[in-house]
Order: sequence, then structure tokens, then C-alpha cells
Amino acid sequence: MTLQDCYTALGGDYADVSARLRSDRLVRKFVLKFLEDKSCDLLRTSMAEKNYEEAFRAAHTIKGVCQNLSFTRLGESSSRLSDALRHGWTPEADGLAQQVEADYLVTAEAIRAYQEAEE
Amino acid sequence: MRAGKQVIFIFSDHSSKLKILIVDDSEMNRSILADMLGDEYEIMEAQNGAEALAILQKHSLEIALVLLDVVMPQMDGFGVLSVMNQKQWIEEIPVIMISAESSSSQVERAYELGVTDFIARLFDALIVHRRVVNTILLYAKQKRLVGIVADQIYEKERTSSLMVNILSHIVEFRNGESGRHIIHVRTLTELLLRQLLQITNRYPLSEMEISLITTASALHDIGKIAIDEKILNKPGRLTEEECAHMKTHSLVGAEMLARLPAYQDEPLIRTACEICRWHHERYDGHGYPDGLKGDEIPISAQIVALADVYDALTSERVYKPAFTHEKALEMIQDGKCGAFSPLLLECLRQVAPTLQEELKKAINQADKYAVRNMTQELLRHEELVASERSLRLLDRERMKYNFFAAVAEEIQFEYSPEPAMLTLSAWGARRLGLNEVIMDPEHDLQLSQILGPDVWRELSKALHSTTPERPVVNYECPFSCSGEVRWYRIVTQALWSGDEPPQYMGAIGKAMDIHDSHMKLTDLEKRASHDSLTGLLNHASAQERIRQRMADDPDGHYALVMLDLDRFKSANDNFGHIFGDRILQYVARKLKNSTRGGDIVARVGGDEFLIFLEYDQDVEPIIRRIFNTLNGEYEGFSISISMGVARTTVAGEDYTALFHAADQALYAVKRSGRRQYLFYDSSMKQMLSAISPIDSETEGKQGGDNK
Repeated sequence: MTLQDCYTALGGDYADVSARLRSDRLVRKFVLKFLEDKSCDLLRTSMAEKNYEEAFRAAHTIKGVCQNLSFTRLGESSSRLSDALRHGWTPEADGLAQQVEADYLVTAEAIRAYQEAEE
Repeated sequence: MRAGKQVIFIFSDHSSKLKILIVDDSEMNRSILADMLGDEYEIMEAQNGAEALAILQKHSLEIALVLLDVVMPQMDGFGVLSVMNQKQWIEEIPVIMISAESSSSQVERAYELGVTDFIARLFDALIVHRRVVNTILLYAKQKRLVGIVADQIYEKERTSSLMVNILSHIVEFRNGESGRHIIHVRTLTELLLRQLLQITNRYPLSEMEISLITTASALHDIGKIAIDEKILNKPGRLTEEECAHMKTHSLVGAEMLARLPAYQDEPLIRTACEICRWHHERYDGHGYPDGLKGDEIPISAQIVALADVYDALTSERVYKPAFTHEKALEMIQDGKCGAFSPLLLECLRQVAPTLQEELKKAINQADKYAVRNMTQELLRHEELVASERSLRLLDRERMKYNFFAAVAEEIQFEYSPEPAMLTLSAWGARRLGLNEVIMDPEHDLQLSQILGPDVWRELSKALHSTTPERPVVNYECPFSCSGEVRWYRIVTQALWSGDEPPQYMGAIGKAMDIHDSHMKLTDLEKRASHDSLTGLLNHASAQERIRQRMADDPDGHYALVMLDLDRFKSANDNFGHIFGDRILQYVARKLKNSTRGGDIVARVGGDEFLIFLEYDQDVEPIIRRIFNTLNGEYEGFSISISMGVARTTVAGEDYTALFHAADQALYAVKRSGRRQYLFYDSSMKQMLSAISPIDSETEGKQGGDNK
């Protein structure tokens, strides 16, 4: 499994990220590092605790990381969620949070598959 | 440009990397940026605004650039920017904002707060890199680093002047010329140059170049070092061979300078080379070594040549006497000594009347000459040099402060009100288990847990009511940290601005652990204010506290209760004083237990006690409860209590009147059969005091502990 395949599986734009970071080594390093990012956990617990300010920051962080890595699919849902939470809870926030969660699982799954294929 | 070159010089010369501070709450984003820039810069990281401020506070002088995220916990990017504005760091440290946001209002606000650039979150390694480098270079030229550059120019100019002086003195020494030759040539060169600029635009020379040519003129004969001393100092005419040898000095001098390895790019050295090589060229093309003609000869060499000839003619040499000023002028104008540009000859004519005087002045000022060069240089950069120096001084002060703070093992602090920020010394922060920088300390949970709820407000009130003349506040309070309560004395000084009226700028101070001495003091105080038998307050201190309580809150409802034990005398008589004492101690304990912490309980004397309490609506249930608790039995002795109660609503708020009223109520109880309580009302006004009969009841027991 190549990085390219991994990007296809998680709904990202490999061409874009490799053009920006200019090195497969860097792309690989940060893609693997994505698994360590705790923002999704933070998002989940903050939503459960109805701490929407914290949830907004978590969504916003996910969005930023996705933009950096060109994770298009997760980037779009987290972007919509952060817009929905910017000024506190809105009715569509719960549904969007579930979407982010689902996209995150797909993304993490694809990266793990890539990691295992590499080993 | 010279300054630009110096900047590059600094960059390549200092092996230490410039520092970049990356502020982002996502570890991943920080590490992407660090990866892009880490090769060339030293990276410092902060994961929120408060951390960033703590780093800036410590390293503001070293940080060349801040990369700042917008959305972060604790304090966001705009918060950091506003503090950077407050502290005027923004003027010295460029900030590039990095954000997933790109709404124009945000971008606009960021620019208003002084950011230099805005990069959207889509990191492109090349773009980030280029923008960082550009921003740092831009600031390096425009801002604080220019101060360093100015210092370096000053330093180099000074060393060059020194070098020029040393070299030219060697030449003079070997030539056996008077030291005046160098000064004369230099003075003439400058006079002629300035005159030349007045009469023509043909040679566009800057101040800097004038100063360079003037300084470099001292080196015109440096090649003579290589000429045999015998020839140099030979009286009378030189042979043709000797003359040819002598003529090599111009070329030799130029080559010597060109070979100086460390100064290759120095404008001073380049100018000196021109002068050395060509100061024996002639305007008509018949000079040496290159036979240049007209303005092929650099203007610097043309002028020094004229100055050299004039001074040679008017000075005494081993081979000739000194000609007069007028004779020398005549010989030069007639072309008997060299060939010069008509423009230069015109200049000489124009400066001639004041020339002798100027040369005399120059000799007198010789010592100051070098200084003048430096001063010119300094004047141009004065402000920057000053600011750089004062920054360094400040930095040193801060180092000193940090050092002493660390050694003193004290809790030191600094508070600035806008934005509200408390900075603790490193040791102090560790001692209290707090962060070194606390934003909005008034509402900081951790801090208020240590200080208690009111301390901050009270301190702040006390500081605000100081004056610039008397700015110090002393304050003692307990700190509770890591499960332990210890007393501290806070000594703090308000900082007032020099404005009229003075503005409150914050405060500095320290907190000292005075727990041990405080405990000793409170113990002494306790002994003085408490009854030794029962541990309750004595009458005097109770009275003081009651007055204070009523003064603090005159609108409260208070009741003063006087009580005594019925027929206590019989306990003393029948069971002895020791047993009597134990009864009093027992009653005191019961009293303590049946009242609330805020109530004041005291032993007035003998078997008389006092309670002072505050109540909301009806005091009667409270009194009844206390009364019921106290009545009972102690080791076979039946305890019976009489109580008189006076309320401030009825008896007023004067302590003496209130005490008297309670006393009268107690007397009324005694008269109507004991073991009950009564509230004072105006019908009791005429009654006698209860104190007297009680006193008489205990008469004859002098020396008893319970007296």
C-alpha cells in the first residue's frame, strides 16, 4: 500500500499535499503522526459534556490539521462542524459531530492499514 | 547600501541561529512548521497564548519572529497580539499569523494589531519559508537589529581609524616628517572636497564618501614603508635610479592595502587604495604609475595629490626649506609643481584666504579628529544605538533580577493591569504550585484557592489608594497551598506613571513566609486577650471586638447576652474551688459548642459570661436553644442558668448602653426567680445592675481562680 493508496482510501488529495510539503518523507511522517492527535477524543468528550467552546476548538484543530495534510473528506466535515459550533451549539452540530467521528474512523483506519502494510 | 551589507555580515558571522517562536495548540501543526524551518532557525514552541507570553517575557530580545495561530485555548492569538501591543513587543518582533480562518474581518483585525503577514493554513513549505526569511530580513533592516548594525559600524569605524592612525604614524616616523603632514593633508583634503561640492555637481559625493576620502588620505604615502630609509631621508637631489625607486611607493602602497585579507570589502580600504596608487598622477597624463589623464584619475586621488603638494611646499624637508603660503600657491597655479584640474585649482584659490588658519585649528584639534569621525557616525545612528544599548541594559537588569529572585528563594511578583497579568518569579511559582504567568489573576481559580476569596480585591483596593509618594502596601494573610495553611506578609509597591494625574501601571512586590513568627505573635496576642481558665475571650477584648463588629456593619441585628450560674457560690463552698473551676470550664465548652463561629463569647468575670451574636429575624429561638443546652448537670452539680438579653433594635448600638441593658435584663431574671431568660425592654430601665448582687454573692472568695 502506497501513500497514494492511503490518501485514496481516506478521501484525501495526495497530489496536493506532496506538492506543498515537497517530500514524501515529510508527508509520511505527518500522516503517521495523525494517529497520535487527540483532538477527536477531545471533540467526543467535549460534545458529551456539552462543553461546546472546547468542542469548537477541537473541531477547529482537526480542520487545520486536515488542511495541512490535504485530508479533504475529514477536513470538510470538521470545517462544517467548527462553523456550526463557532457561536455555541446549533441544531445541526450533533449530526455534524457524528459525521466527523465517522470520517475520522475511516481516516484512522486507512492510515493504520498503510502503517501495517509498511511493516 | 552599507547597512544592508552589515546585516548579511551579522547573519553569516554569528554561528548562533535566530530564534523563531511557534504558537499553536496543535502539536502536529507545530511540528510541521518546525520541520520546515528547523534547519536554519532555532525553534521555540508554545501551545497556547499564555505560554507564548511567558516565553516572550523571558526571551523578547532574542526572538526574531513569532508564528501565531488564532484559535487556541487559554488565550487566543488576538489576546497574544494585544499583550504584544501593550508591551510594545510588536514593534520589535514581527508576527506572522497562521490560521485556517480567512474571513476578512479577522485578517483586518490581525493587521490592525500589527501582524506583518497572514498565511492561510494551507502550508506550502516554500511559501512559509520564503515569508519567514523575508520578514526577518525586513525587520532586521528596519527595526532593532539596525541598532546592532549601528553598533558594529561604529565599532569597525573605530578600529579602522585606529588602524589608519597606526599605519600613518609608522610612515611619518620613517619619513622623519613632522606628524603635522598627515593632519595637514587630511584637513586640506576635506576643505578642498567641500569647496569642490559647492562649485560643481560633477562629483556626486555623499557625506559618507567625504568622510572616507578624508580618513583614507592619511594613508597616501603608506608605500614608503617599502622604500629604503637612506633614500627617503637623503638630503639633496636623488639620482635617477633613486628617483625611480622612490616612485614605486605609490604602487607598493596600493598593493599592500589590496593584500590586507580581512578588509577586502571595506570601502575605506578601497578608497585608500585609489589614493595610494594615483596620488602622483597628473591631470595632463604625465604622472605615475599609470599615466592616467583628467578624470580618469579618481577625484579622491586628485584632491589628495593637490593637498600633498601644497603641504610639501609649505613644509621644511631634508632636501628643501619651507616656502611661504603665497609662494606655494603661486607655484601650484603656475603649474610648476604638478598638473591639476582647473576646477581643483579654482577650489584652492577660494579656500586660500582661510587656509593657514584652518590648518592651525586642525593641529589644535588633532586629538579630537578621530573622535569627530566617530561622532559623525554615531550621530546618524544615535537613536538606534541608544535603544539597543538600553535594551541590553534592561536585559541585564532582568538577568540580575532573575538571578537574585532565584537565589533569594522568595515569591516575587509583577502585576500589570492592562491586560491583567501576574508574573511570578520561577521559585515563587514553584513554591505556590502556580504558573509563572497568570492571565486575569482576579478570576483565576487556582490563585483564589491559595489566597482566599477577598485578598485579591483588598490588595488591589489598597494599591489603588496609594500615592506616588507613598506607594508601598504591607498586607498579611494566610496562603493555603498543597494542603497547608501558612501566613505570608505581602510587601508590594504600586507603580505610578509620571503623568499628571499619575496613572496606575500595576505593582511589583514579594510575599514572605512569616508563618513561624506570626504564630508566636498570635499566641502572645491570644494570651493577652483570653481568659486563662476557660480559653474564652476576656471582657476587654470582647468589648473591643463587639464595638468593631457593630462599626463594620451598623445595619445588622445584634443581641448581647449576659448570663451567670445560679447559686454558683454553693458549688465553691460545698465542693471546693477546683471543682468550681471545672464547672466554669465545662460551661465555657458548652457555650463554645452551642454558639456559631462568628459569635463572640467571653468570660466577663467570676461566673458571668457574655455572648454577642448577629441574627436575621428572630433571636428568641437561638437564645432558647443556648439556654436549654447550658442548663443541666455536671458531676452531680445541677447547673442552672440565668440570662438577660439586649437587642440593638431595642437598646441601641452603643456598647455601654447595650451591656447595661443586658445586665439589667439579667437582674430582672434574678429578681423573678432565676433559671430563665428575659429580653430587655424599657420597663427595666430603672432597675439596678445585676453585677452588684452577683459580686456580693461571690464575696469572701478572694484568691479563688474563678474570681
